[in-house]
Amino acid sequence: MDRLIALVALRWRLDVRAVTGERVRLLALVVAVPGLILLSAAASFVVFAGVRFLESARPELTLSVVSAGTTALGLLWALSPLLAGMALTETYDLNRLLHFPIPLPTLVVSSFLANLLQSTVLALMPPLFFLGLAVAGPGGAMVPVAFGLALALAFVVASGQLVGLALHALSRHRRLHDRLLFVGLALGLLLSFLPLLLMSGAAAPIGRLARELLARDVFVLSPFGWGIRAAVHAGRGEADAFFGFAAAAVLGVGALLALSTSLVERMYRGELDLGEGARESALGRSRVFLKGPVGALLEKDLRMVWRDPRQKAIILSGLVTPLILLVLVWQGSSGHVGPVPLLALASFVGLSTLGTNAFALERRGLPLLLGFPVERVLVLVGKNASALLLRVPAVLMIAAATALLAGFRFVPAVLSILLLTQLLTAAADNYLAVLFPIPVPAPGRSPDAPTSGSRGLGVAFMTMLAMAGALALSSPFAFLAWLPHLLGDHRLWVLTLPLALAGAVGLYGLLTAGASALLMRREPDLLARVLGEE
Amino acid sequence: MDESHALVVEGLTKIFRQQTAVDHVSFRVARGRFFGFLGPNGAGKSTIIRMLTGLLRPTSGDAVVEGARLSLDLLGVKRRIGVLTEDLALYERLTGEEHLLFAARMHRIQRDEARRRTEELLEFLSLADERSKLVVDYSLGMRKKLALACALVHNPQVLFLDEPLNGIDPVSGRVVMDLLQRLAKKGVTLFFTSHVLDVVERLCDEVAIIDRGRIVAQGSLDQIRSQRALAGDASLEDVFLKLVEADVRRGDLSWIG
Repeated sequence: MDRLIALVALRWRLDVRAVTGERVRLLALVVAVPGLILLSAAASFVVFAGVRFLESARPELTLSVVSAGTTALGLLWALSPLLAGMALTETYDLNRLLHFPIPLPTLVVSSFLANLLQSTVLALMPPLFFLGLAVAGPGGAMVPVAFGLALALAFVVASGQLVGLALHALSRHRRLHDRLLFVGLALGLLLSFLPLLLMSGAAAPIGRLARELLARDVFVLSPFGWGIRAAVHAGRGEADAFFGFAAAAVLGVGALLALSTSLVERMYRGELDLGEGARESALGRSRVFLKGPVGALLEKDLRMVWRDPRQKAIILSGLVTPLILLVLVWQGSSGHVGPVPLLALASFVGLSTLGTNAFALERRGLPLLLGFPVERVLVLVGKNASALLLRVPAVLMIAAATALLAGFRFVPAVLSILLLTQLLTAAADNYLAVLFPIPVPAPGRSPDAPTSGSRGLGVAFMTMLAMAGALALSSPFAFLAWLPHLLGDHRLWVLTLPLALAGAVGLYGLLTAGASALLMRREPDLLARVLGEE
Repeated sequence: MDESHALVVEGLTKIFRQQTAVDHVSFRVARGRFFGFLGPNGAGKSTIIRMLTGLLRPTSGDAVVEGARLSLDLLGVKRRIGVLTEDLALYERLTGEEHLLFAARMHRIQRDEARRRTEELLEFLSLADERSKLVVDYSLGMRKKLALACALVHNPQVLFLDEPLNGIDPVSGRVVMDLLQRLAKKGVTLFFTSHVLDVVERLCDEVAIIDRGRIVAQGSLDQIRSQRALAGDASLEDVFLKLVEADVRRGDLSWIG
């Protein structure tokens, strides 16, 4: 028992230090806590009112609905590290404790108990309390109700622990890790579209399916719901059903903890070490396609983005915003879209290059990159070129949309405006990259772990300023590109489009030369800031 | 400018948050020397290497590397040097071969020549069979060999090597040591740090010992022994422990045995 208390206390102390020791995490918590409280209060109200309503109007549905709700919550909870794109290795690590002569069940139980005091778990307490009040009713048996609810919570947390461990085991296989991360991020992205889907015509069939599932009470099979069912039966005074579901839930929690223990044991004895990733990663002989340092940089960045699931997911998610905007433009125009919304969309997509940060992809590789004796202007051009190339799918999408919605003749003008806005935005972003570099995690930590001293509010202001600057810089050229349409003589595009693009390229050259001179002057300071060695 | 010296360090100082990590360090390294740079943990070795390779700005002082002054011609310095740092920053999502080709091309080596050197380095450092693996799947020793290959690909005049043998298997270690010795004979200057003092004693013509940010001795082992009136058969380890005033505790732990 002493060891259990010591382990739980150690984990809480480490969790508190992780938050208080890093400004970004502390800030994130400060921002998140009011939101969690509000969300918790809203959920408490909805749960209380909803269950009371069901108990009075459709009591036969109560069990099915609360089981379904808990199942959805439990699944989201267990899969949340994957959906958030968190590095799987960060989700769970008992490595450091395995050297001590502590029985594995004690380790697993200590981790489970420590998880119960996570802020997100604490936020679940008020809704559970109000659910208890709702099902117990006046004079109801509160103790067995609370026991059932505690079992439901325990099952959700224990399942999260088991999935975390399983993901950690899988993360030892790099290829599986990469694929899972990418699939998880894609799944998370799709889930974020769910509200749009529900607002569209898909709501009705989904509703029918949900009603059918609830009516047939298929969620009785979900172990996430057994604790809740026990609580509802206790509130109704149905002792046999209460004991049945409570026993099933206790067995379920026990089984999850036993599975976690077995997983830890096998994983750290090497029985689950799926380390074939290295052999599988053989990619064939490398080929060189482009010339010079800019070509080398471009090829390197494209290869790295394609092979990094997180980067790939970020690039693909960049397609989503223009897609949503296109849908909104389409819906708002009742079928006929003029060229002006597409022009605005092109400028918007061009401006989205801001924040790509020339050095963000490098992270701890930045000293390596800046160790090469390549003129810094070429480094910036190479990095900007890869940022622009990675946005080619969005550019193609806008081109296709313009051709379909406004007519093919607008494509060159819309594309020119998009390209010149991208180019000048990338030039403005170079200054942000040099003046406000983003620190990277220390060696040994996950390269994607959050770091303190990242861009703060002041830098957010500078980013807005840079965006305004990029817009102002690109406006004359965009105006020149659009002038023939305003004059009603589209033949003039032959003259104005090359002029606008050439002007933008010239201005980009000037701005980038300035940024490279700044980079040369600030290079060691920039590296010290990025590597946290100030 | 002193033509016979590959490296001239003049009053190099680095202060981090009012804490002096490197305190007015000055020394010279003759061309083609195998120069050992020693010191206890936290003495300032890596900080000096980072400053000399342009990765960290000195608070004061300057250095000249093969005629290029650090404060005036940073790219010139970087053209002349190869660097193997302790933290081995490598691009993990490139294969070993791609990484080496990338390094060669960033040094403006023509494509065919870059490929030829890449082949030769991969063979030489026994990485040829692992050429198509991603760096993320490399072991520590393989990473070290790849980083060393990247530092050598452009035929540098000065090589800065921070713990180059750490984590490398004995066979590769011998290959690397032989290679480094041959490079020194060909006129490449090697600036070498290691905690394995018998290796330093075997390889280096000259050593400098730094302690708490200051150079406490510099010269050949014989010179240091005679300067400090140490026994003629004192090993580098003895000299080192004496000069850094190491408190080597002896005795038993009360609960053991």
